[in-house]
Amino acid sequence: MTEVDEESGHVEARGVALAFGRREIFRDLDCRFAKGRISVLMGGSGTGKSTLLRMIGGLQIPDVGSLRVAGQELVGLEEAQLKAMRGRLGMLFQNGALLDSMSVFENVALPLREHTSLSETEIAERVHGRLSAVGLSDIDELLPGELSGGMLRRAALARAIVMEPEILLCDEPFSGLDPPNVSRIEALLTHLNRDRGLTVIITSHHMATSLRMAHRILLLRNMGCVDGSPAQLASSRDSAIREFLGQDGAEYLAHHGHELEGAEG
Amino acid sequence: MTRGLANLGAATLRQIEELGRMIRFGARIVMAASRPPFRWRAFMAAVYDSGVLSVALICAAGLTVGFVLGLQLYNTLVRFGAEDSLGTAVGLSLIRELGPVLTGLLVTGRAGSAITAEIGAMRTGQQLDGLRMMAIDPIHFVVMPRAMAIFFVLPLLSALFVSLGIFGAYLIGVELLGLDGGTFLASLEAAVEFDTDVLQSLVKSVVFGVLLALIATWRGYSCEPHSAGVSRATTSTVVTASIAILLADYLLTALWSL
Ligand SMILES: Nc1ncnc2c1ncn2[C@@H]1O[C@H](COP(=O)(O)OP(=O)(O)O)[C@@H](O)[C@H]1O
Ligand SMILES: [Mg+2]
Repeated sequence: MTEVDEESGHVEARGVALAFGRREIFRDLDCRFAKGRISVLMGGSGTGKSTLLRMIGGLQIPDVGSLRVAGQELVGLEEAQLKAMRGRLGMLFQNGALLDSMSVFENVALPLREHTSLSETEIAERVHGRLSAVGLSDIDELLPGELSGGMLRRAALARAIVMEPEILLCDEPFSGLDPPNVSRIEALLTHLNRDRGLTVIITSHHMATSLRMAHRILLLRNMGCVDGSPAQLASSRDSAIREFLGQDGAEYLAHHGHELEGAEG
Repeated sequence: MTRGLANLGAATLRQIEELGRMIRFGARIVMAASRPPFRWRAFMAAVYDSGVLSVALICAAGLTVGFVLGLQLYNTLVRFGAEDSLGTAVGLSLIRELGPVLTGLLVTGRAGSAITAEIGAMRTGQQLDGLRMMAIDPIHFVVMPRAMAIFFVLPLLSALFVSLGIFGAYLIGVELLGLDGGTFLASLEAAVEFDTDVLQSLVKSVVFGVLLALIATWRGYSCEPHSAGVSRATTSTVVTASIAILLADYLLTALWSL
């Protein structure tokens, strides 16, 4: 009934193919990421998760196919038009990608300085708000090179959400984090999604966390993609998929299996 | 044989394509520079890195070259009894040729390579992509201020080199070899013309500045994104920019004497 409206793709790939030289990454990839939902992109390493996020950000152009972000076709856009589109996106890179010559504070403040006319006090307030949301304090003056991997990633997440994007792309937001911080980031992303309607697309290897927070899981394999709700995938008839989800998948199914009835019409 | 020719042809085509991409990149830098805001802070920081920190090197090199010129030219001129024209000989060779060329080569080694390495490392660390995703143009934010700084400091450093060179030759000629100071300066002043010599010097250093700024930033911006790629790009900046400067020097000199 309202399924289609609710789940209208905020981000959609159709018939996407991409190869690096002779190395084929995607062949006829179709997938969609629903508006206002949390989608988790999974797949073994090297299956193209980061590459797909880069394509959504317009950093990597597919060889063929179409990519629509918020209804706008992205393939064939000029850099200047991409810029307008990227204003609606926030991206957390796998390695953080903070500018290493600038302090953490300046890194997070950068988009605000570039795109808003907020006063210094307002900027400081927003930056500190975001930094404390990711559990970082008293690191304003540090350079990215002086942070641990987990802190770096959290600082980068603070930068990715400081402009309040519509769509947040997160490449491995949990890797390198200790368990309390995994929970903190999970709670933050869930909160942003629930309260602000943020569309969240993350890649992750953290099975339990992913199953818990995902509305939808997209599993990249064979140069394409299989998707479904966590319960659907966990109960898939395809043994390779069940194997990929592993013990966490089985446990998830034991607790949430009942959701399957009703979900499937 | 045919295979060899085909390979040569393909390599030449690739070089021409690369040149085309570099020129388009240059056009984007110029467009970025004319699009406000001009990034004064980043520009001043780059002027400091590329210019101020090169001052000691340029002074030392200028002085040394001045010493050598003073000595060599004196020894030659004295054979013709023309040692009174030491000022002319030193001044013209420094102003027209050695000042701009050697400054260009030295700044290539000191600042051009550093710019390539820095931009290359930013590319490798996905910092440039990070900027793009924040809707910030990396050419405007990173490349333009550094390119403008090279363009701006090269003529100044070249003038500094020339001054120190003349001073060095004066020290050798007048203080060491006993020429008359007044004669040295008079022969310098009489020979050097603004609209030929000084202008030629300025034009050369501006052209070298453009070449170096473009090559150094392009090599970094387009490097292969890993550490070996950065290192190759850095080497390539030094080699390409040096050759480009020497070639441009020849062309400009030839054009000037038409
Ligand atoms: N710029 C590139 N050039 C060549 N190959 C690439 C490039 N980027 C990614 N790849 C290749 O594409 C594949 C997918 O990479 P990636 O998206 O990073 O995988 P994942 O994030 O799923 O681990 C890998 O095999 C990688 O080697
Ligand atoms: Mg990855």
